[in-house]
Amino acid sequence: MKPLRITGRFDAMPPPADWREQLAMLAGGKPRRISLWTELGLYGALSCMAQAGEACLPPGAALWLGSRRGTHVATVSVIAQLRDELPMPLSFLQTQPSQSLAILGAQLGWVGSACFVAGGSPAALLQLATARMGEAGVLLGWVDDMDGGSSHWLRLYPEAGDGGRAASEPNAAHPMVDGIWSDLGAGRVKC
Amino acid sequence: MKPVYLADFGLACSLGRGKPEVLAGLRQRSQPVATRHLPGMMGGDFPYHAIPGSAGDWNERARELVRRVSEEAGGGLIRNSPLFIATSSFDIGAAERGEADIAYDLFAAKVADWLAWTGPVHVISTACTSSLNALLAAHALLASGEVEDALVLGIELDNRLTLAGFAALQLLSTTTSQPFGLHRDGLVLGEAVAALRLTTGAASRWRLLGGAHVVDGTQPTGATPSAVVAMHRQALAAAGLGAGEIDLIKVQAAGSPVNDGVEAQGLREVYADMPPLVSLKASVGHAMGASGAVELALLACCLDADAAWPACRDALDEALGVTLATVRPEGVRRVMATILGFGGSHASVVLERT
Repeated sequence: MKPLRITGRFDAMPPPADWREQLAMLAGGKPRRISLWTELGLYGALSCMAQAGEACLPPGAALWLGSRRGTHVATVSVIAQLRDELPMPLSFLQTQPSQSLAILGAQLGWVGSACFVAGGSPAALLQLATARMGEAGVLLGWVDDMDGGSSHWLRLYPEAGDGGRAASEPNAAHPMVDGIWSDLGAGRVKC
Repeated sequence: MKPVYLADFGLACSLGRGKPEVLAGLRQRSQPVATRHLPGMMGGDFPYHAIPGSAGDWNERARELVRRVSEEAGGGLIRNSPLFIATSSFDIGAAERGEADIAYDLFAAKVADWLAWTGPVHVISTACTSSLNALLAAHALLASGEVEDALVLGIELDNRLTLAGFAALQLLSTTTSQPFGLHRDGLVLGEAVAALRLTTGAASRWRLLGGAHVVDGTQPTGATPSAVVAMHRQALAAAGLGAGEIDLIKVQAAGSPVNDGVEAQGLREVYADMPPLVSLKASVGHAMGASGAVELALLACCLDADAAWPACRDALDEALGVTLATVRPEGVRRVMATILGFGGSHASVVLERT
C-alpha cells in the first residue's frame, strides 16, 4: 500500500450545536433541499478542506465517501410514500448516495472521480481509495446521521512522488491518526 | 502495474439466465417485456425488462440468481478474494415486502453468505455507474498487485422504489427503449445480475486496460457534454490509447431525449473518425447499478463469432450525427464501454482482446 501524508483532518462526532451556521459560512449560504446525511457530509468535507488550506479540490483528486447507514432515513421514508403515490422527485434522489457525491463536487467547484462505499469500514474505504490515488490525492469521508450525527474527513496525498504541496507543506495542525481512522496503520500515514 | 484479465463472467437478465439462454434470447430478436404498475396521478403501466421464469420470495429468488451467476463466472474458485458488490437498490425490493431490514452491512453479509464468500466484501453504490466503478476499484487493487483475483457482482433486482423514482422524475418511456432513436421518449428499466471475474494470474480472452469516472455535479440527474468528453479522454489515457485505436464503443444511449443527445455530442467531439457504436438498452433495459456489469458480459457474448448482434430496429435520429452498427463489426480488438447516470456520473472502461 502506498505511504500517505495527511494535510487536513476534520472530525465531528457529534457536530457542535452551531454546525449548520458553520456550514452556511463555509458554503457561502445555507444548503437547501438536501438530506441531513448530505448536510453532515458537506459540513465535514468543507471543514476538512479549510483545515488543509485548500479552497478547491484539484481536478486530479478523487472523492471517496463511506457510511454505515448512508441514505437509510430517506429510503425508509420513500418506501412508505410508495404505498399510495409516487415519491417526490427530490425525495427519491435523496435515496441515492451518488447525489451526495454530486452535491459535494458542485460545492467544492470540482469535477472528477467520486465513489460511495456502503458499509464496511473506514480502513477498507481507505484501501480502495488509495489503490487508485494519483498525485492530487484523495478527500476521504465517513459520514453517518444516527446518534447525533458524525462526519470524519481526511485530506490525503501520496507521500512519495512530486506532489509538491504534499511533500513540501505538510499540515501539522491535526492530531495523530486515531479514532475511526485508527486502523490506517502505523508507518503508512505521516501527519 | 500488472495486467488484469476478465477471466470469465456470468449473467442473468431479461434475455435469460446464463450465457446459452441469453444468446438464444438475443437471436430471437423480439424480446418479451413485462409491465409494472405504479400508483397515483403520475403512475400507470410501464414496460420493464424482468428476468424470466421466477416469482415468489425476493430473497430466495435473489439468492438463486446470485449463486447461479457467480458460479457461471467461476466465483467459487476465488471465494477468499475481494468481492465487489455493485448496486443502486441493494435489497430494497425485499424491504418493500417486509422481508429485509434496510442496512448496508446486513445486505453485504447476506450476499456473502449466499456465496459462502470468505474474502473481503465491498459494496459500491454510485447509481447507474456502480458496476463500472466497482470494476475500476477492483482493477486498481489487482493492477497494484495487492490481490490476484476479484469478483465484481452487479445486482439490481425488482423493486418499486427505483421504478417509481424514475417515473416521478418523468424519465421513463411508456413504450420501448429507442437508443439514439428519432422517437425516443425515455428509459425502460430492467433487472439483472452479472458477475465479472478478474484475475492477474493467467491471460484470458479480454484484458481490462483501465477506465475513468467523472462526476459533474452541475447536472445531478443527467450527463453533460464536457464530462462525456473528459470521461472518454481520461479512459483513453488510462488505457494508453488514442481515439483512433478504439474499434467499438458500447454507448449508454438509453433512449433519453436529452441524455442521448448529450452523449452523441461528446462522442463527436472526441472521435474524429467515429468507431462503430452499439447500445444494449433495447435488449436488456437499463439495469441501473448492474448495467455496467451485465452490458459488459453481454457485449463479450455478442463479440463471440457465432453470436447474434443486438441491432437497433428503430429509426435513428439523424440530427444526433451518430449511428449504431447494424451488424457485428469485423476485427474488433479494443472496446470502450460506457455508462452515464444519476449524480452527474460518467464512467467508462476499455477492454482489449488478447
